[in-house]
Amino acid sequence: MALPKPNKTLTLTESSYIVEVLKGMALTMSHVIKNLLNQDFRTIEYPDVRKPMTARYRGAHRLLLRPDGGIKCVACMCCPTVCPANCITIVAGENPDDPAEKFPVSFDIDMLRCIYCGFCVEACPKDAIRMDTKIYEINAYNRQDMVHSKAYMVNLMDGLKPEAGTAYHVDKTLAPAGYTAEAPVRP
Amino acid sequence: MPKVKINDTEIEVPAGTNMIEAAKLAGVEIPHYCYHPHLSVAGNCRMCMCESVTPRGSVLEIACNMQAREGLAIRTDTDQVKAVRKSVMEFLLVNHPLDCPICDQSGECRLQDYYMDHGQYDSRGLEPKVSKHKRQDIGDHIVLDAERCVQCSRCERFGDEVTGTGDLRLMNRGDHTEIGMFPGTRLEHDYQGNLADICPVGALTSKDFRFERRVWYLRETAGLCTGCATGCNIQVCHQDGEVFRYLPRRNDDVNKSWICDPGRDLHKRVGSLERILRARVDGSPCTTAQAELATRIRAAGNRVGFVLGTQASLEANWALIQLARGNCPEARFFWVSGNDGDAIEKSDHLLMDIDKNANTAGVQLLAEWVGNVGDTDALREADLALLIVLEDDIVSRLNGGALPELAYFGSRENATSAQASLVIPVTHPAEMDATYVNRQGRVQRNRRATNPLGEAAPAYAALEKLGTALGKAPGTGLPVATFLSLARAVPRLAGLDYKVLGNTGRLLAPPVAEAK
Repeated sequence: MALPKPNKTLTLTESSYIVEVLKGMALTMSHVIKNLLNQDFRTIEYPDVRKPMTARYRGAHRLLLRPDGGIKCVACMCCPTVCPANCITIVAGENPDDPAEKFPVSFDIDMLRCIYCGFCVEACPKDAIRMDTKIYEINAYNRQDMVHSKAYMVNLMDGLKPEAGTAYHVDKTLAPAGYTAEAPVRP
Repeated sequence: MPKVKINDTEIEVPAGTNMIEAAKLAGVEIPHYCYHPHLSVAGNCRMCMCESVTPRGSVLEIACNMQAREGLAIRTDTDQVKAVRKSVMEFLLVNHPLDCPICDQSGECRLQDYYMDHGQYDSRGLEPKVSKHKRQDIGDHIVLDAERCVQCSRCERFGDEVTGTGDLRLMNRGDHTEIGMFPGTRLEHDYQGNLADICPVGALTSKDFRFERRVWYLRETAGLCTGCATGCNIQVCHQDGEVFRYLPRRNDDVNKSWICDPGRDLHKRVGSLERILRARVDGSPCTTAQAELATRIRAAGNRVGFVLGTQASLEANWALIQLARGNCPEARFFWVSGNDGDAIEKSDHLLMDIDKNANTAGVQLLAEWVGNVGDTDALREADLALLIVLEDDIVSRLNGGALPELAYFGSRENATSAQASLVIPVTHPAEMDATYVNRQGRVQRNRRATNPLGEAAPAYAALEKLGTALGKAPGTGLPVATFLSLARAVPRLAGLDYKVLGNTGRLLAPPVAEAK
């Protein structure tokens, strides 16, 4: 197969490269001068400084608690049913002391499979799951730790406060291995 | 037969047919809660209201209380009928707690279905809902939630008309009407599970299935209960190879719409720890058990006996007979009546038969055809070196007495599997296509719901493999072909195949002597 021919033959000034190099340096210098005069930097010093996320940004999931401390989720199985990535696994159990009767014995989300569509939040009849944590650094050293458990998602942010969302409250003991629980400061 | 008109369809139905049933035949679905084909008509839910066209104009009437007669015409699609259905739904839901997220009925709930089809109103509820007793333990198989009840009285009529126990009752008046038990009593009968099935809402739910799985995940396969000789038709509900529950499947000639609780509990046997999953030779797992069994059969020569299985299917017994005839022409056949060691020996006038074997009539049929099949005494007296046993727990049935070396084709551990020197795993009925003959002489088909566990194979396939090892295969690898060859050979099964048997089965032809 023949190589594609360049669609333009270079002129003499172009092939000498001197003018072209000077043109490029002029562009660089114009940005230097612009930034010196007007200090509006587009680069932020991540991770010390973080970009404010929009209110509707879908980050890591969290599970909410009722005012009395019980988990809001009643294991109705709406979210695993609607989940297009099939990443939610719930085992339901009966709580003899709770008027809600049914609760999730385990509630696991495989974050490697999750596509962050937010259908689980929409489907939830109890407002028990939300994706308003704005956490996007979801990482671990192995696949097992990428499965977020019920205990982890309850503690991800203060489950009692639905309006929480400005600071991290990560319980280090519940965080997956490799998760840096240092609370970064938001700008 | 009188002609009735439903909307624009004219249909001929037997006189006295309930109009809900007649409409179903005409392809029109009339919504209903309290009507049940096997219970008396109560007419209290008012959901089946439709317009009866009379010479004096249209009159609203409940379809369940109308019987087909010449010239009867009803309409179910007028604006008036639609408005009535909507209002009825609104009334039924006035005090309904909307427990759907925690209710096991959701997904198969008539309130949900009919609200989407006929309700769809905006709530006008200003008053607080009347609260009633929730989560009541009223029996070994049932949980009652009185708040979810729509007072259709199906369960009351079931207790009065089917079991005759009359235990559940509607109490109090007005919107305080509540379903409940008499103080200090519990459900005592063996048909409690049916209450959860007939309850159109989530008031009565099954304790066994409670919170196990959402119903919309479950797939249903038409199966047969193999718990006793009645052969009730069931729906096997399963997901990903796991069986979660048995539901009754309607067959007016066998079990109507009911099954018993011991039968319902048999779904636990499919994946139970008692299942035999590996072949064993002399107590240790063996991958060449079939070849070993073939060697021992050859070594035993003429002193081999074959025990037909009253719990095994027609196909399996046929495979055993063909295997024996092809490879051991001198072999003798036996069948041992009685019940297994782990059978729950309960019986009544409704469905539970004292004979806990699903295919006693089938074995009887094949024994007649083979001729000279020995009974228990003959087996005790016979001089044998090796006895090949199909599914039946003959050690418990014989209750002592010396037996020759045993080779057992079985699905679960019992006294026979413990004593047998060769054990070959076979499937549970939920894992294979097979046919059984019930106590009425009805040949019924069971369909495969899940994949076999472990090394288990259907008994007819396992015997085909053994036949191959012996030199002459019985030709029973596939259930359809096996049943066809069986139906061609046995006169009383003439003309039957899987398609003819369908979902409700066929009665055996009478014996030739009687037919003459």
